Order: sequence, then structure tokens, then C-alpha cells
Amino acid sequence: MDTITFPITLIDKNKLLVKIDLRIYAKESVNAACYKFTNKFFVNQQISSESESVINVIFESKNEENISEETIKSFCNELIDQQVRYNTNLQFGHIRDLIVEEAFKPVNQ
Amino acid sequence: MNNKYQILPFRFVRFNDSEYLLTNDVGEYIFLTNDDFEKFINKDLDTSSTIFQDIASKQIATTDNVNDVVKMLATKFRTKKSILRDFTCLHMVVPTLRCNSSCIYCQVARKNIDDHEADMTKKTAKNVVKTIFQSPSPYIKIEFQGGDPSTYFEMVKFIIEEAEWQNLFKKRELGFVICTNVTLLTPGMVKYLKKHKCEISTSLDGPKELHNINRPLQDTIHTHEKFEENIRMIRKICGDNSVSALMTTSKYSLGHFKEIIDEYVRMGYNNIFLRALNPYGFAKQYKEKIAYPIEDFINNYIEGLDYIIDLNKNGTFFIEGYAALLLKRILTPFATGFVDLQSPAGVGIAGAIYDWDGNVYVADEGRMLARFNDFYFKLGNVNEDSYQSMFNGEKLHNIIKNACTECLPMCSECVYNPYCGADPVRNYSEQGDMVGHRPTSDMCKKNTAIIHHLFELLKKHDPEINRIFWSWIN
Repeated sequence: MDTITFPITLIDKNKLLVKIDLRIYAKESVNAACYKFTNKFFVNQQISSESESVINVIFESKNEENISEETIKSFCNELIDQQVRYNTNLQFGHIRDLIVEEAFKPVNQ
Repeated sequence: MNNKYQILPFRFVRFNDSEYLLTNDVGEYIFLTNDDFEKFINKDLDTSSTIFQDIASKQIATTDNVNDVVKMLATKFRTKKSILRDFTCLHMVVPTLRCNSSCIYCQVARKNIDDHEADMTKKTAKNVVKTIFQSPSPYIKIEFQGGDPSTYFEMVKFIIEEAEWQNLFKKRELGFVICTNVTLLTPGMVKYLKKHKCEISTSLDGPKELHNINRPLQDTIHTHEKFEENIRMIRKICGDNSVSALMTTSKYSLGHFKEIIDEYVRMGYNNIFLRALNPYGFAKQYKEKIAYPIEDFINNYIEGLDYIIDLNKNGTFFIEGYAALLLKRILTPFATGFVDLQSPAGVGIAGAIYDWDGNVYVADEGRMLARFNDFYFKLGNVNEDSYQSMFNGEKLHNIIKNACTECLPMCSECVYNPYCGADPVRNYSEQGDMVGHRPTSDMCKKNTAIIHHLFELLKKHDPEINRIFWSWIN
């Protein structure tokens, strides 16, 4: 039985690990969310050795500062936003392609 | 409840604690409460509700036949991208690197006024004009850059007349601009420029003390006086609106945007373009001395914009150019060409620069990198290479492939994407590659903050602010 789907472990004062459940979030969403935090952190992603449906993301502060709770909360929200983008894009991604194709049809002709 | 609808392509951001902002590829936007957003994406909105009708009117969702909506959105998208249709129309030419100024942020390795080493030859000038007229664009604008082109006015005249001659056969809509500090212009020169319909563009960084710090002349301490005297002379010959001006923000300008704007008003201008320092050339070399964190610029910009809005409220019509450009993108369906902020980027395909030695770069900033022996953005040389090889070569193709915000990391999902642009030269210069890294990009920070602020102002639905904004873009 699953326990907590979003466990966070402090590894060091400036380094922490977030476990992300791939049954909730797509890898693309996790990657996109991590990317946004690469300004302040070195970010490492790897599939958990315990379960293939879990990604371990390690954040290490670039300036040695402690990682605030606020940052992790922002990351959690970012994950949700990215998953919404992923889900909605599945619905309309092909429409975007059609629009661009239709828009530039005169050029191809 | 009828909730059968198709969600159309859109981007979003949590705008504040209670609202989301949604935009689509053609620049339409809408604010939704958190609750409405959740209902919308879960397809729980009633299609007869006002909020759904609003969303549908922005073409972010539809109950109609999707193919019909695709056609409509495609037409709008093509209009937004119509700047691509004409290909390169802005051709910047550097007749010489000589200059009589010593601007603290100078971006080029300027030469002394009597050093003719970097003067364009007539042979190169002829080949520059020949290359320019091979552009398919029906509009050709030749902009003289420097150094200060007025230090080699004979070459400016030669190029103008050569272009006019070529145009007798090519029949394009031809225009000229000279970018100069105006201090060396004589009434005779100005009359010549007027006769040949050459616009004059200059730089004004603010009131006397600030202008003199940023842009000192080499041979006098009375830079501002000389500048003002010549502006008066030009206006007398060419008319009140004959000289446009640009400002650059140095470290010394911070905290003084109100005085800078007041100076523009005092000098009879009705617009300003609040511009951050360019990170190239000497500015980069002496960054600590004159540069500043981008956040400082953003704060000053917002204060300046708010001050300009107040000026307008109090009866002085005055435009902030960058906001006007962005507002046109946000509020109208029209295309707005701006080489520094478009997607695909304008480098090479909207503008190109021809250096004094005939080297062609995709942008002025590419020329500046070349001063430090980085020729990454050199397309070729007019004396050696064909137009085809330079403007339809592998290099330009590769640059443009990396210059579409629709495909760049983070830009592709950014809610402000339809209003923003890519700058591969700046990314390369500041971050080491053309794609860049948005989480640490100053350009990204600046543009997102400014566009966000504009949306905050639009969201107020203040009739007076809206009237002012519309007056700027009409």
C-alpha cells in the first residue's frame, strides 16, 4: 500500500531529495519542473532503485544556502502546473500543429 | 449542464494567488479564477455560462467544428507572423568606426576622428548596396551606424546616391536613417539628409549631468549644450519631429528615470524607449563599472512607466516605446516587427549589418562579438560571398532554427510567448549558446517582469489607463 506520495528527505543542509510518483506525474512534467529550478540548484534526476515508478530528484543549492520550505512548495506547485500543461497538450497539441500547417500552407504552395 | 467542448491550444501561468492568466498563440488572453481554471481544464464548465463564452470568444475553447476554428486561428497566426513575408528589410551599414564621442558603454572598437584605418572603401560600399538590393523585400531601409557616420559623411552620401541609383531599376520602397550624436552635423549636411529623405536618429540619455557622464564628447566638456544646439538647428531645417532619440540606461541612470523622462519632455519629445544596457562590447568588458543587476533596471522601468502614465493622466501625451510595442502585441491582432524581440528572431531575416570592411553579420551584436575575435554570427563578406550563400546558407538556417520561442525550453510553455521573442546572439554572448538558459537569463527576467506589469495594469480595467494605452498604439 502506498504511503506518502511526495516524501522529502533532507540529505544535507543545502541538499534534499524529493521522491516523485510517476503514476501521478509524467517524466516530461518532472523534467520541465526541475528545469525551472536550475537557476538556484544543481538538480539530479534518477529512477529509484526501489521502484521504477518513482523518480528521485536531488536538489543541491548552488550557493551553499539552506533550501527553504517555500522553495519545495513552489516546486510542488510547479509539478502540478507542468502536469496540467502535459495533459492539456495531449488534448490540443495536434490542433496547434494543424494551425501552423494551415497558416503556412500558402508558403508551401 | 452542457459541458462538451474542445480545449484549444493555450498557455497559462498562476498570475497571482487567486487567478490564472491564459493566452493563446495569436495573443488573445483571459484571466480565470483558480476555481474556474480548474473547472475549465477538467471540462466541467457549463458551455452556456458567461465565463465559457468569454473563453470561447478568445478561441481558447470551442463547441464549434474544430476545423473551422483551426482555419480562423491559422489566419490570425499568419497575420501575427506576417513580418516573415518580406524577409530582410533593415540593412545597417557602418561607413566608418571613427567617432568623436567616448560613450562609457560604447559597443564598438571606435577609432579616433583622424584615424581612417576603418573607413569603408567605395568598392565595398558598392558591393554592400548591390547585396542589399538582392533582398526580396519590397521595403529597404538603410540605417547608417558607426562609429559616428557623420565623421565620414562623404561615404554616407556615396551610399545614399548609389542606393537611389540602384533603386531606379529595383523600385523598392527605399528609406534611410542615420544614427548619429548630431554634434558634427552642419546645416549643409542636414539639408542634404532632408533632400534625400534620410531620417535622423540620435541618443539622449537624460539631463545635462547624466548625458555628459554617459556620452562625453572627446573635445569638449559641453556635450549636452552642443547636442541641444544642433537638435534646434536640425528641427529648424527639417521640422519639429525630425530627430528621434534613444536612451541607454547606465549605472548612473538608475534612480533618475523621472529626470530622464522630464528631459525628454523638455526637449520636445513625446516618446521615450527606456532601454537597458547592452551586454556587449565595452559594456561587458567593464561590467562592474557601468552595469547593474537586471532587477534594478526592472524596478526603475516600472517606476518610469508609472510616471509616464501619470504624465498622460495630467494631460501630457507621452509614449513609452517598449510598452507601446508590447501592448500592440497584447491588444491588437497586428504584426509588429521588432528585430530584438520576435520569433523567429529577426537576426539576418529581418535585419543585417554590413561592417566597414564588408563583413556581414546577422545583427549589430554579432558585429560587436567580432571585435573580440568571435565571428560566429558573420554570414560572409560582400566582396567575396554571394547573397545566396550568406542569406540562404547553412549558417543562417542554423541560427534561425535556434531562434523560435515556440521551440525553446521554457519559452515554449511561457504564457508571455506570443508577445516575446528570441535573441540567439544575446543568448550566445551571455550564456554560451544560442538556445540559452531561461532560468538564469536577464533578458527573460526583464521581459517577463515588464509584460507581467502591463497585464497587472490591464487587469485593473482602469478606463483612464486603457485610454492612454490605446492612444499609444493607435
